[in-house]
Amino acid sequence: MITGLPYILAYREQQQLFLFDKAYIAGVLFKVGGLSTLIGRFIVQFFWNPALACVLVSILLAASAFITWLAFRRSASDWGLLPLCLVPALLMGACITDGALHFDAVVSWMLCLGALAWYIKLESGRAWRAVVITVFLYFAAGPAAIVFAVTAFLDDCLKGRFSSASSIPVAFACAFAAYAFAWVPTLNTALTPALFYDLDAPMPFVHWAPWIAIPAVALISGLFRLLSPRKGLCLAIACASLIAFLPVSKRIAGKYCTDYTSALYQFEHFTVNEDWDGLIKCCKKAEWRPLTANYLNMALSYKGKLCEDLFKYDQRGPISLVIAHKERSIDVTQAHTMFAMGNIAAAQDVAFNILQSLNGFCPAMLKMNAVIEILRGSYGVADKYLTLLEKAPHYRAWARQQRHFLWNDEAVEDDSFLGPKRKSFPDSGFAMYGDPMTELYRILESNPSDKRAMDYALSFLMLAKDMNSVCQIVNRFYGSPALQSLPDNVQEAVLFQSEYLRNVGNLYYFDEEWCLSHGVTHETIRRFEDFKQASMQNGGKAPGRFRGSFWYYLTAVQI
Amino acid sequence: MRRLITALSILLSLAACSRVDGNLPGIAGLPPIEPDYTGVTVPPVIAPLDFVYLGDEPCRVFANGEKVHSRNGAVLFRRSQWKRLLASGSITVSVQVKRDGQWMSFDPFCIYVSEDEIDPYVSYRLIPPGYQGWQQMGIYQRDLTSYRQSAIMENTLTGGNCMNCHTPSWGDPSKFVFHVRAAFGGTILANGDILEKLNTKTDSTISALVYPAWHPKEDMVAFSVNKTLQVFHAGGPNRIEVYDEASDVVVYDTGRHEVLWSPLTKSAEYFETFPYFSPDGKWLYFCSAEAVSPMPDQYNHAKYAIKRIAFDAATRTFGDALETVFDAPAMGKSASFPRVSPDGKYLCFTLHEYGNFSIWHQDADLWLLDLATGKAAPMDAVNSDSVDSFHTWSSNSRWMVFSSRRDDGLYTKLYFSHIDENGNATKPFLLPQRNPVEYYKKLMFSYNLPQFMTGEVDLNKRRLLNVIRNSGGTDIKPAE
Repeated sequence: MITGLPYILAYREQQQLFLFDKAYIAGVLFKVGGLSTLIGRFIVQFFWNPALACVLVSILLAASAFITWLAFRRSASDWGLLPLCLVPALLMGACITDGALHFDAVVSWMLCLGALAWYIKLESGRAWRAVVITVFLYFAAGPAAIVFAVTAFLDDCLKGRFSSASSIPVAFACAFAAYAFAWVPTLNTALTPALFYDLDAPMPFVHWAPWIAIPAVALISGLFRLLSPRKGLCLAIACASLIAFLPVSKRIAGKYCTDYTSALYQFEHFTVNEDWDGLIKCCKKAEWRPLTANYLNMALSYKGKLCEDLFKYDQRGPISLVIAHKERSIDVTQAHTMFAMGNIAAAQDVAFNILQSLNGFCPAMLKMNAVIEILRGSYGVADKYLTLLEKAPHYRAWARQQRHFLWNDEAVEDDSFLGPKRKSFPDSGFAMYGDPMTELYRILESNPSDKRAMDYALSFLMLAKDMNSVCQIVNRFYGSPALQSLPDNVQEAVLFQSEYLRNVGNLYYFDEEWCLSHGVTHETIRRFEDFKQASMQNGGKAPGRFRGSFWYYLTAVQI
Repeated sequence: MRRLITALSILLSLAACSRVDGNLPGIAGLPPIEPDYTGVTVPPVIAPLDFVYLGDEPCRVFANGEKVHSRNGAVLFRRSQWKRLLASGSITVSVQVKRDGQWMSFDPFCIYVSEDEIDPYVSYRLIPPGYQGWQQMGIYQRDLTSYRQSAIMENTLTGGNCMNCHTPSWGDPSKFVFHVRAAFGGTILANGDILEKLNTKTDSTISALVYPAWHPKEDMVAFSVNKTLQVFHAGGPNRIEVYDEASDVVVYDTGRHEVLWSPLTKSAEYFETFPYFSPDGKWLYFCSAEAVSPMPDQYNHAKYAIKRIAFDAATRTFGDALETVFDAPAMGKSASFPRVSPDGKYLCFTLHEYGNFSIWHQDADLWLLDLATGKAAPMDAVNSDSVDSFHTWSSNSRWMVFSSRRDDGLYTKLYFSHIDENGNATKPFLLPQRNPVEYYKKLMFSYNLPQFMTGEVDLNKRRLLNVIRNSGGTDIKPAE
């Protein structure tokens, strides 16, 4: 769980795009809780680096604990209260492992704490200032204003004064105004932290915890003040509270940060950073699931080793290569996989949906869409996307590099990455309509030199144990730029099919002469003889020493 | 007489536009500006047509001899100045640039001001131009006399669902329908004080109600019902194909909550869609194609003609024969979105190679059919190399708003063209924005389904939202 946390934070960066742009800032700011959203998005833009994300979140949470202490301490040396003040921060730290809870919640919560720390220390003008703070806080930080008003009133009561009494009705009046003018969808979002949760998704009750913890700390601190227990007892109660909430926080975080979700966030991080070695290493460690295999095989493809190294890893049918969704989804893995396969239209279909389905623009998907528009020659649209990316500091340099391709077909076609991909758009057919292999065939017909599509096609067929189609592809494309030589695994599939046809009496297709003239080596033929003998002695199954070969996968893995 | 005055004023404007500032050396040709407002015709009241000079040199701009404020190439009219310029009947714009230390002048261009007024509001949907994902979309209205846009409803208030087909009744902002989908699904109908949500799927119709068109006189709305699907092209100029596997046309009686139809508008052998009433309410126009299957394999064999059937609102009865108004399949083409001008003289439609969802067809062009002669011709003055599709008429039949992808091929924008009494269209102008290049470049939404309105939709948003979110909806039923 701990290793996954930085990547969960890093994935937040992929769910938004903060723009240094007046219109964008105004658009975010002038909403209920707008200031929190703006500050939240500003901070999250730095989460592209998981370590930096951890440092920033740690600083914020530590600062919030310190602000809580500043607000509720009884004296400048009241350090005994500090462990208690860590409890709300601990709970908020656990809650933000839920990706559906926007980072705005943290900022809003901190603005509430800051406002409390300032208000509680005020000596004069408390009544009107409480009202002004409440109104400002409602529009800047949403329902945090209600927590502020309630906590301020509680603190005042415990100190025997009632100056903030009017701020509670003011906070509720603000909430009802927001509801009446339809600035927020529901009363629930007007009154509760649900404002910071995904649109209309029910917010789990645990996310109330850091908010409830604020008045709770105020109450305990006030009771300490009233009852004046010994310092040691205060410290013991504060420490006990902190210790009691440690497993609670762990449980909350554990709910959202499972090993598998952590692994997915890691895969995505390595993918958007094109760290293929890191991705392979990470996939090897992770539990096998179809998505794990999809990421692994995509990394192998980008390394140019998909066909060669395919069976060195655990593979369980074509689903290991690509999950063919029946419904269009907003699955980033699918967008990456389709793009790697050369199925550009399908990649765009998914990538555009993702781009528009998150709370802001997913930077990786915006980049992918920009590249695809360049491939399509839709330079006006690419220019639009690059303009947005240029307004985000982390993506500015990349976007500026791509400008070279705008309205420059020659540059696109000469580029080693873009050139081959541009040729891979088929003339007809629909994307994500049939099975992935049908689409791969179409891509290969459009662009027989697309090496990555060729690797995906051969791998797909080998994983489906469809040796006949492997032979057909070799027969059709051997010698073309994408298939200058046959990887060992493909040779193994071809030989197996050749042997099978010979055994069933069909001597005319894919015989040994054909195999030798289509890239099968004498060495592979020798190994095949060895395999046949060994597997005969092993009850028809390939012995362990053939692990990593197509023959082993064919005979030992059930799909 | 009025036509004579207009012709004279255009002639005078042309003469004015041909003058070059005699004191400055000239640069041959018109200045490179965006949006291209050179030679466009605008209504007498419209938001300022700010534009951007695309060259790198310092520039200054004069309109009818008055200096116009410009900043880094962005030419921004002051409101009072723009009002004065519009009142003058035509605006001659001179763009001057400083090259090698010397001011030089491009050929001036004219913005012609028509005497024909335009409806002051346009409603539209803003939606990402794709595919199926949206976190944010909404139905908005724009005051054409200023840059002010306001939301009629946004899906951020309704769980991020889809909402579509906002259609006012012949420009009346207080009488409209639109659909909301997903969790709060239903059709919202507003008619004066009535605001209701309808559950529009019946056992006798193939789907809930889809594309609407109001009857001009009675509280009735024609709708299509469609089994619509969408696929993504693997390659080629068009990205998306939206097609129907079946469709029919029905009329919904809002008072009785009943749908009625004719066997001629609801047949399994034909795909009927995109209904539209004639301004006298006596005819129901719609598109009709011989049904093809299987879909989407046969997607490019569906060719729609424009047909019409008589309709009597008083007796709620249809005629017993269909008339073919425009036989697009005979040309090997397909027609969509028939829209009759409120004066009943012209029918504007979109013509394209196949299918009905022309917004995704790069070849889609607008055509105008003279209902008196039956002759149809492409609207060359307004069409572009890219998609020119959904269109509506202003209430006085003199203006048309349509959506076009001419600028970048994907993000639809709104264009306005003046149509004179003889059906002649002028060069269209882009919906004005303050600093338009920056605005449109950053806009990640397409303008969709523009509709003229004679005023602002003035409906309490919370009331509307409560109906959407909290109302279970009224079931509609087939007429007995």
